[in-house]
Formats: sequence, C-alpha cells, structure tokens
Amino acid sequence: MKALVLLGCPETPSQTPMAVYVFNKLTKMGYDVTIAANPAASKLVKISDPENLYKLNLVDLERTLGDINEGDYDLLVGFVHKDAAASFFVTFEQILQCKSLALVFSRDADEIEEFVNMIEESGSNAKITAVRAFHNPSPIKVKFDKAIKEFE
Amino acid sequence: MSFCLDTYLQQSDNYEIHASKAGFKDCAMIIRFKADDLVYIKPGDEVLGVRVIGIPPIPIGFDHDKGTVFLPYTKPCHGTSVVELPIDEEEVEKIRKLDTGNKK
Repeated sequence: MKALVLLGCPETPSQTPMAVYVFNKLTKMGYDVTIAANPAASKLVKISDPENLYKLNLVDLERTLGDINEGDYDLLVGFVHKDAAASFFVTFEQILQCKSLALVFSRDADEIEEFVNMIEESGSNAKITAVRAFHNPSPIKVKFDKAIKEFE
Repeated sequence: MSFCLDTYLQQSDNYEIHASKAGFKDCAMIIRFKADDLVYIKPGDEVLGVRVIGIPPIPIGFDHDKGTVFLPYTKPCHGTSVVELPIDEEEVEKIRKLDTGNKK
C-alpha cells in the first residue's frame, strides 16, 4: 500500500511536526509513505530529522504532479491551509482517484469554511476534517487521529 | 521539442499577468470576463506542457484576435495567477479536445 502526503506552503508552523507525525502514523499502518512538498517545506521537514531516523521519503511537489497517474497511490493525505493547497489537493485527488483525507486548518474560521467548500464543490470524495489551528499542532493531531481510523 | 509553460515563463517576457497571488475562484472569474471564447477542463489536464491545477470546471480562455490564451497558474506559496500568453492554433485545438462542456 502506498500513501502520498501533500504539504502546502510552509508558513504555518504546525505543518512540519504534523508532516513527521502523519508519516510515522501511516508507516505504522503499513503504508509506504511519500511526502511531496515544495523546496522550502521539504527543507523544514528534512532538517527536523537530522539522523534520518524516520527515513522520510521527500519528493518535489510539482515534479510529482507531472509524474503521477491514476492508481499510483492508495491513499492521499493533504494539508490544506491556503487556497492554493485546496487546489493542489483537488488536482492530485482527481488524477490519483484514490481514498483521500484533507486536513483543513487555519487560524481563521472563515478560511476554513472557504477551503472546505472548495473541496466539496469540486465533487471530491475526500474525507475532510477541519479545525482552527496555526502554531499549535495538537488540534490537527487530534482530528487526524480520529479521521485516519476510517482508513485502518 | 514540445512547449513547456514553466520554461517559457522563466525565459520569455512575452506574457501578461492579469492577477497574481489571488484565489482560484477570483482567477476563474477573471478568465471568464477577459476571454472571448472558453473551454472548461478537469484538474490535472495538461495545457502547454503543464498539468493545470484548480477546482473544476477550470476555465481556459482564448482571445482569438490577439492569438492568446488565458490560464490559471498556481504555486503553493503564491496562490493562483492568471497568465495570458501567445498560443498557436495547434495548441488551441489540443485544448479544445479537453473540453468537458461542464460550466458549473
């Protein structure tokens, strides 16, 4: 089983620890996990694991978008905290046609509603979990732990 | 060699940005407003050598008098922009074949 984790723009502090957390969780669930991120987000994750203890498999987001095909992954998990991240998530989901989970978060409740609507209006079949969060990853962790149970 | 939009935007100044660092919906509205002809494609469909990112139906616009195309262009940290650049008839026909006909 293969899982792809999509990271958005790295300006939200909670994304980096949650990327490592999600990678670890999915690996323990038996997935062969790949994290796709832009260079800045990728560096933040890579430097968080200096001894390469987690063996994080990081790839370039845009190159991956150009390479993937339907069926390449069994599960897609996306961090959605910007308009562009919602667009990327919907696009990857439409190409891969696999089970998917959107972790929508923002410090702004209106933005959360907007991003959830964007995903829903796309006709997506993704499980969407949403929470107010920015610096503190704990609310996202709690939501992720609950949502991922549906995929176990 | 086939056309690649990313390379073109880096190496040419023959294009125009109509909106930058915007939301996808705003950019879709700008394309619908500015173009005199539209097709609607799916996210991930390839236009000018890149997979187009967005929320379906994604409008791709044409100005046939100027011989240009309007398309959304999304980057993770910079949001979505509307780019207008020259296009030849062969590429227009390729894009027409992607038309879903779905405008909603």
